Amino acid sequence: MQNRNHIFSSITLIAAVGLLIFYGFTIFSGRSGRDENPFEYDVDSFKGADSSLIHYAEVQSIDFEGKKLTALTLNFKDELIVAAGREIFRIDSMFQSSLWITTQYPVRCLATDIEGLVYVGLENIVLVYHPDGSKQAEWDDFPRQAILTSIAVGDSHVYVADAGSRVVHYFNNSGKLITRLGEKDPVRNIPGFVIPSPYFDLCIAKNGSVWVVNPGRHTFENYLPSGDLVAQWGKTSMRIDGFSGCCNPTHIAMTPQGEFVTSEKGLERIKVYSPAGQLLSVVALPEQFDEGTVGLDLAVDSKGVIYVLDPSRERIRIFGKKEVS
Amino acid sequence: MENPSNNSKVTRRRFMRDSVRSVLALGIGAVSGLLIGRSTKQNIVWQLDPEKCVQCGRCATDCVLDESAVKCVHAYDVCGYCELCGGYSKPDAHELDTAAENQLCPTGAIQRSFIEDPYFEYTINEKLCIGCAKCVKGCGSFGNGSLYLQVRHDRCVNCNDCAIARNCPGEAFSRMPSDRPYLLKGEQGLT
Repeated sequence: MQNRNHIFSSITLIAAVGLLIFYGFTIFSGRSGRDENPFEYDVDSFKGADSSLIHYAEVQSIDFEGKKLTALTLNFKDELIVAAGREIFRIDSMFQSSLWITTQYPVRCLATDIEGLVYVGLENIVLVYHPDGSKQAEWDDFPRQAILTSIAVGDSHVYVADAGSRVVHYFNNSGKLITRLGEKDPVRNIPGFVIPSPYFDLCIAKNGSVWVVNPGRHTFENYLPSGDLVAQWGKTSMRIDGFSGCCNPTHIAMTPQGEFVTSEKGLERIKVYSPAGQLLSVVALPEQFDEGTVGLDLAVDSKGVIYVLDPSRERIRIFGKKEVS
Repeated sequence: MENPSNNSKVTRRRFMRDSVRSVLALGIGAVSGLLIGRSTKQNIVWQLDPEKCVQCGRCATDCVLDESAVKCVHAYDVCGYCELCGGYSKPDAHELDTAAENQLCPTGAIQRSFIEDPYFEYTINEKLCIGCAKCVKGCGSFGNGSLYLQVRHDRCVNCNDCAIARNCPGEAFSRMPSDRPYLLKGEQGLT
């Protein structure tokens, strides 16, 4: 009888200690269940990439603490020009920034030409500045609903992406509007731009044609100055080789080899695609950005170094190709 | 000459009169306070700020009602009417169609209808919505954030100590005047 009591007491004691350990573990390890969301929207499986695709690494950054960064571009000397709200900064070779131009309204996009002229896109107006900082021209031939999101400057022409009107305005370099590209036209097999939010980027190819992102369809479309659509590629997918959400890629830039550098929102990624749309490299993955970062504007210098404007961390981040051992 | 100390002498009648007056004043004060308190309480309701919402899922699980008083609402003027809607399709959807296995909503409460190529309209079926915010997270991450949660006052029982507000990690809940009970997005929110 005494033995039985002893066994019963031992079992009770072991059970009590076990319970204490269990509760202690759940409390201290945060596994109480309260923090778990049974309805979690989980995209973690799409945030990675095969390491063999990651050919770039962050090599440097330029801080703009307290500035609301909006746009960046490089001039023909590979000098960086950065817009933060109404201010435009020049960055020297030592990565020191100096205030250069102040505009009346916030800057949405920037571009430069081979003479060093700077094209500044505000909401519905383009300002052209001389390299000495003086204003040279003001282009306002835009529809009332215009929201200018990107400018690309060629030898004798300028393309301006307008997310509000869902077209690309094609100007000569003295600011005369020649035509508008990309309006929906089933006869010419032009699908029309789908732009749910104001992310609508473009860049000029070496042959003078313009590559335009159709962000609602996740495609790149190549237009001649005549307005003919001559090529397109794209893939809708959350996987690493595609674009997802309602407006991706948000920004693009072109490397000296004619490859496309892309940035996305939702899944914050920077990638490099061949001119035909094949994924070549991953520059940066979502883990390298703050969740919810949008507006990762891009520029590529003559050596292929990629500059990424990170509005959330208030800095320009510079990515170079990893050395192959 | 009358002795002044006689005036300040408290008589039984005076004591009774003052006591009754005091009790009446206190009573009136207490009743007024109670009425003001009650009327104030009736004019304040719970609401959640969509800008503070972190889509934790607790609106679906923590409400004292079996079917939560929190529902998803849609700001149509903010919506992009996208074919690939982050709030409608699962991240790994095989097709961008209306098949149940491709829908993100666990109860199929979002209805999709074709407008014109490539635009689709998304409507919330409130009877099916459980307020889990899964679509809110998807829409906010990849889209314009037109889907968001609100406490529906035709359902909310306006608990003094709202169980969701108590556990909300984003501290998104606050009391609102009952004549302005919603925190709406888009043009509706501007009026």
